[in-house]
Amino acid sequence: MLPNRAAVEGIAENMHLAEVKGRSLWADARTRFLRNRAAVISLIMLCAVAGFALFGGLIAQYKGDFVNFSLIGSNAYLGVPSLETGHYFGTDSNGRDLFARTVQGTGISLMVGVVGALVAVIVGTLYGATAGYYGGRIDGIMMRIVDVLMSIPFMFVLILMLVIFGRSIFMLFLGIGLISWLDMARIARGQTLTIKNKEFVEVAVATGVRPLKIILRHIVPNLLGIVIVYATLLVPNMIIFESFISFLGLGVQEPATSLGALINEGSRTMQFGYYWQIAFPLFFFIVTIFAFFFVGDGLRDALDPKDR
Amino acid sequence: MLSFVFRRLAVAVPTLLILVVLSFVLMYAAPGGPFNSERPLPPEVLANIEAKYGLDQPFWKQIVNYVVSVVTQFDFGPSFQYKDRSVNDVIAQGFPVTLTYGFWSFVVAVTVGVSLGVAAAIKQNSWVDYFAVGVSIGAQVLPNFVMAPLLLLVFTLWLGWLPGGGWNGGQWQFLIMPVIALSTSYMASIARITRSSMLEVLNTNFIRTARAKGLPMRRVIWKHAMKPTMLPVLSYLGPAFVGMITGSVIIDVFFSTGGIGQFFVNSAFNRDYSVIMGITILVGTLTILFNLLVDILYAWIDPKIRY
Repeated sequence: MLPNRAAVEGIAENMHLAEVKGRSLWADARTRFLRNRAAVISLIMLCAVAGFALFGGLIAQYKGDFVNFSLIGSNAYLGVPSLETGHYFGTDSNGRDLFARTVQGTGISLMVGVVGALVAVIVGTLYGATAGYYGGRIDGIMMRIVDVLMSIPFMFVLILMLVIFGRSIFMLFLGIGLISWLDMARIARGQTLTIKNKEFVEVAVATGVRPLKIILRHIVPNLLGIVIVYATLLVPNMIIFESFISFLGLGVQEPATSLGALINEGSRTMQFGYYWQIAFPLFFFIVTIFAFFFVGDGLRDALDPKDR
Repeated sequence: MLSFVFRRLAVAVPTLLILVVLSFVLMYAAPGGPFNSERPLPPEVLANIEAKYGLDQPFWKQIVNYVVSVVTQFDFGPSFQYKDRSVNDVIAQGFPVTLTYGFWSFVVAVTVGVSLGVAAAIKQNSWVDYFAVGVSIGAQVLPNFVMAPLLLLVFTLWLGWLPGGGWNGGQWQFLIMPVIALSTSYMASIARITRSSMLEVLNTNFIRTARAKGLPMRRVIWKHAMKPTMLPVLSYLGPAFVGMITGSVIIDVFFSTGGIGQFFVNSAFNRDYSVIMGITILVGTLTILFNLLVDILYAWIDPKIRY
């Protein structure tokens, strides 16, 4: 049977309309992420919190270290949150504007979380990818080191370090950087083990690409998905970690502050009825942690090929 | 099996040594000694005191002495701050307290967490499931230093049901809030892990076979599904244990329970190095032993692990 010439021509003319649009894995992941309502809302909340930390200082009527001496001692009725006095979140027991301090605390907590996650991403990924790619004895030694470091109670060692070298935000960052990469190294190594036997790596080896370049150009980009997911889930843990230290008074030092330090102060004064002093920092703490967890979960669902 | 245990021990011992040496080096590197105060002591007196504590000896001799006395006699030396007490006295006083509420927190976290997780998985997408998931998500953002003030606020300040702090020999009223504050976030994680692990196990072929044979659901879950479900939970117990030991610092500071955490923080502010080191090493030893135990249990339960 001869095909209908006109119909064939019609199909040929309209071919370009039916052309399949390629979708990258990332585009796929994005649609999946955007379909997850909790994750999208959390992402918006996170942006709002970040905006608060970045630009809140512009709205604040007072500086965080400005002490209003007339309020000391009469905080319970004069330091109440109000729009008229300009103390939107009230004042703390030292007569300082809680709004400005919450802005600063949120900023520092976010920064600690992000720096910790960044260190984890850079050091952990490279370490894990190297161990996984070389394998054999090098892998054995490198991962034993991670095992050994992991079984040390780092919180105690970090407190020891803070005591010995003085309490400073630099030591805090160093301490957080020291532990944050361990889990990431394990994850990256496990993933590398499955990637390194793929054909494109074999081709790279066969054409004489150097190992370092293979790791950086061919393996690390393929780790990115899982690394991003775990980095997002790591941020809240780092924030909790820092808040823990600051809660004990060993972390961020006055006049700087972080959410942990603010919650600590608030928890000490709540018996006098200044509930706002714990309520506002706690609110930002919980919202931030919640949002990071949900975004991380959403990213995992979007990027983790296991659940597809 | 035995060789596996020995191999794990072979890793654990150097880890411990590394921890001891690391904390000693950190302490040695500290600028200023423990006896440098604002009113400097006369040099002769200082020399005498340093000789008494063995601080005048060269570095390698000090470290060898310390390691030897820790390893052979479990002697962490004298406290620099409390002149009449040794580090061992401090630990002997605080450790039982920490152990008591730590043990109960662990029991609560595991039993409640596992039951919630199993219940949620069996009745997936029912109100039990939503309740369990809701609780575990909510509890995840409530680490011990957030739980502690909230509990105090509700149960002591508003309701007045429980004492706000103290230990009183471990009476139950004094135990409730520390245990809840310490266990909540771990309970949440355990519930989440159990739920997803149980769901995965329930979808496997051997469970379907068991169901097809006509076994009652209760038997399937207890006899067949429980063991593989517990594997991921088991591997989480190591980090949970570390977290709880660390959390005891907050509990002690907040509820004045008088455990080692309290001494740890006080010594941190007083620069009482020997106490800090002693507690760090003690906690490190416990952590390593516990991880060892978990590893061995894991290898024992999981038939897929070759050792």
